[in-house]
Amino acid sequence: MQKFMIIGERIHCISPVIRKALEERDPEPILKRAKEQIAAGAAYLDVNIGPAEKDGEEIMQWVVQLIQSECDNIPLALDTANKKAIEAGIKVYNRSKGKPIINSADAGDRIDNINLAAANDAMCIALCAKEGIPRDNDERMMYCQQMLERAMEAGMDPEDLLFDPLFLVIKGMQEKQVEVLEAIKMMSEMGLKTTGGLSNVSNGAPKHLRPVLDAYTLAMAMMCGLTSAIANPCDPKLQEAVKTCDIILGNTLYADSYLEL
Amino acid sequence: MALTGLDIFKLTPRKNCKECGFPTCMAFAMKVASGAVEIEKCPHISDEAKAKLSEATAPPMRTIKVGTGDYEKALGGETVLFRHEKTFVNRNLFAVQFADQMTDDEVSGKIANLKKVDYERIGEQMHVEAVAVKYTGNKERYLDVIKQLKDLNKVFILVCDDAAVAAEAVALVKETKPVLVGANAGNLDEMVKLAKDNGVVLGLSADTVEDLYALAEKAQGLDYKELVLNTTGENIAKTFEKTIEVRRTALEGKDRTFGYPSIVFVNDLAKDNAYLQTALAATFILKYGSIIVLDDIEYANALPLFALRQNIFTDPQKPMRVEPKVYEFANPDAESPVLLTVDFALTYFVVSGEIERAKVPAYLAVPDAGGLSVLTSWAAGKLGASVIRDMIKNSGLEEKLTRKRLVLPGKVAVLKGEVEEELPGWEIIVGPEEAMQIPKFLRELN
Amino acid sequence: MAYTKVAKKYSGKINEVTLGTGDKAITIGGRNVLPFHHFDGEIGHPPKVGIEITDIVPDDWNNALKNLYGDVMGDAAKWAKYVEDNYAPDFICLHFVGASPDGANKSVEECVEVAKQVAAAITTPLVVAGCKNDEKDGELFAAVAEALQGKNILILAAKEENYKTVGAAGALAYQQKVAAESSVDINLAKQLNILMNQLGVKAEDMVMHLGVAAAGYGFEYLSSTMDRVVLAALGQNDTTLQMPIITPVSFETWGVKEAVATEADEPEWGSAEERGIHMEVATAAACLVSGADAVIVRHPKSLQTVKSLIEGLLE
Ligand code: SF4
Repeated sequence: MQKFMIIGERIHCISPVIRKALEERDPEPILKRAKEQIAAGAAYLDVNIGPAEKDGEEIMQWVVQLIQSECDNIPLALDTANKKAIEAGIKVYNRSKGKPIINSADAGDRIDNINLAAANDAMCIALCAKEGIPRDNDERMMYCQQMLERAMEAGMDPEDLLFDPLFLVIKGMQEKQVEVLEAIKMMSEMGLKTTGGLSNVSNGAPKHLRPVLDAYTLAMAMMCGLTSAIANPCDPKLQEAVKTCDIILGNTLYADSYLEL
Repeated sequence: MALTGLDIFKLTPRKNCKECGFPTCMAFAMKVASGAVEIEKCPHISDEAKAKLSEATAPPMRTIKVGTGDYEKALGGETVLFRHEKTFVNRNLFAVQFADQMTDDEVSGKIANLKKVDYERIGEQMHVEAVAVKYTGNKERYLDVIKQLKDLNKVFILVCDDAAVAAEAVALVKETKPVLVGANAGNLDEMVKLAKDNGVVLGLSADTVEDLYALAEKAQGLDYKELVLNTTGENIAKTFEKTIEVRRTALEGKDRTFGYPSIVFVNDLAKDNAYLQTALAATFILKYGSIIVLDDIEYANALPLFALRQNIFTDPQKPMRVEPKVYEFANPDAESPVLLTVDFALTYFVVSGEIERAKVPAYLAVPDAGGLSVLTSWAAGKLGASVIRDMIKNSGLEEKLTRKRLVLPGKVAVLKGEVEEELPGWEIIVGPEEAMQIPKFLRELN
Repeated sequence: MAYTKVAKKYSGKINEVTLGTGDKAITIGGRNVLPFHHFDGEIGHPPKVGIEITDIVPDDWNNALKNLYGDVMGDAAKWAKYVEDNYAPDFICLHFVGASPDGANKSVEECVEVAKQVAAAITTPLVVAGCKNDEKDGELFAAVAEALQGKNILILAAKEENYKTVGAAGALAYQQKVAAESSVDINLAKQLNILMNQLGVKAEDMVMHLGVAAAGYGFEYLSSTMDRVVLAALGQNDTTLQMPIITPVSFETWGVKEAVATEADEPEWGSAEERGIHMEVATAAACLVSGADAVIVRHPKSLQTVKSLIEGLLE
């Protein structure tokens, strides 16, 4: 089995520092977060530039080249609703360490992003939702199938799709949690790869509880077969969970110092 | 091999018509993958898809039986490329090769060797299981050599690509379920017919991996699946490549056209270099040779090769055990000490190796300790004072020895007092904790 | 249907490690495929074969070897030179059996003297092996590493018990190469590499000694350990396990019954020398196809045979 993959979430326009840096084309804060996440074990970095309707193409190209040139061509997930910006980003993207990931397609308006991925030999996160939250797992799996079919028609290898069951906030949707885990299990049994925005689960919870909720959810999700997550790699609790689960699942070999790696 | 839901989903028509009773084709595919539903429940599945599915769920590599009765052996049937993933199931066979151009002396020499090298090692009888007989143009002599070998009760491997000669040879031994290594692109139809008519396993030979594949495909097309693939190539590197590719195409590529046992003529590759032949045989024991053909067998090459095969084909879940009894080293006498260890093969070997190294006369008593290591068997109650007492009492050592000294493994020093009570008249000595220290210990013991 | 090859591409690669200096320096590792799988990708450097000699006249060696070497055995430097001139192995392993406190118990100073003389006598890369006593080996290796600074020798090996001394002196202070020894324990193998690395030893200065077993003596454990290490190194790109592997085959094969039993003990078995060579080449071949990048043998005929096997497999 492959090691669990973390897609570092910390370069996100929702953070004021990053938003400002993107606007001013200031490399410093962006590179700092990139390097921290890589040092903490992120295999991919998510780069969310926001809707960026105006100058999205330019921003994306700038940030892709900035991060890759300074960080040994770390592979990236390009995260924006602006399609043109994604295409522009892929044009300057260096594939030596891995294909770009398009974040994201869904079963609704954004399903065309799958074709965009197929046309550009990119991977794609496929969010199993259409409008809002899927009612139940039948609906989830229906979306999953629709996207899978779309990808297969477009000649894409199903391996290049990362299905996102849509993690839901615990505080407010506690009753839905098991269902999400079951969805991951079904997708894994299908032989599909999975991912998801993990920190959704702890939204609104007290700060000191967030790492705990995230880490245990992740451990249970890994047991169900989750293969990657969009998360904060710098969270020590989460790191512990990933490394330990990787050992238990046999994805890495045990050594007494495994947590220090 | 288990198919994933995705593999099955690809075979469904993806209509989502719900006639199968599931909301979507994908939901249906997942149920089929888990074995809960039959694929026939979907009325729209094509016959081609059904055939693919049944094909895909059959084992990736066939098990081929050769020989008959007590001499029957199974070949192939493997499911993994590395033994730690599960286990290798059918050990390779060794064959010694004869040929029509050999003199009577050569033939009888090899026969004598085949009879001589026949011994037991850790509960397994070690001997060459097969004889290969190669045809090089002298038919009368060929048939004559085959007749001479019949009494040996070995699996016959007839190496002959002349269909007419092969037919006569097969007629001599067909009731023994031999292997006929003789089919190639030029004679396949005839050979398949011969093999089919006589219930013979057919060996296929071709120069390249691609040609071998085409040949296997054709043989299957003629509806014959009792096959062995000759993976010997023009040189060592090519042979290694072919043998690996055949096995992994079957197991990893799930392509049953290559799902047959292999035969490797290491004797041809070694070109009369006996040491190289041993090195090559070892190579193909690990890397997927099902029948390994040698020029000759003597103790020198048999000892390491049979031992290696025994190791590699052991079940990783079941530790190897040695027979519980008293082993002797360097002709011990009535004064020699008795050492004690357990029947877990690895422990026994380490300990016995060190005693050999010490070159000091000694006995090694091995009770039935459940095939566990010293500490584990002690903890499990299988190496207690009473077990040791029974072992010693039943061994006949008491009568034999004038000086009775029993050396306990250092790790179970705690047993000393109890064993002293159980075995009056014996001097109980605590030995070293590590086997490495045995030679020094023994030399200083007096 | 045409034949479709199951191609095996791995993301990981075995590190390259160089031993010795000058024309005869050797490099091992560098492949990104399973052993001898030249048809899958980059095969790197062919595995290397070394010959074992000892610091004192060994008392338990096969007589045929004693006859073969004769007097040169009494002087390790002459012996090494003889081996270099006559058999040209890829490297020579000087095995300090004489250092053992359970045996001749030669002092560290005496051993260093021998090491210096041997190193001066040959240009072939040198591997120095200890006496199995962790404490003594620690001191011995530190002193030899210092004395032979600049020779780029391989120290065989650092263990859990003495890796700090051996790693610090061998690799850090005197820039030699160090093998990390774990006895057929895959988790320890990984742990030791991590610990050495944390000590400051660079990955390219390390090799692994994963343990050794003769054919028939628990060899399956060694083989599976190697398989798993190699698969983790290549398949999981586990950088803590990408060091090349060295296996001192001769340390075990000549001590098992099949090689030791005299012709008087086992009249049917034939020449003990022959048995020893067959045991040695079978075990060495099995180690090489399981993942060893270097093996150590004792008999010159074994050296020749294993070299031919390697050449044959890579032809
Ligand atoms: S019956 Fe066949 S086509 Fe219809 S939903 Fe079920 S699997 Fe799909």
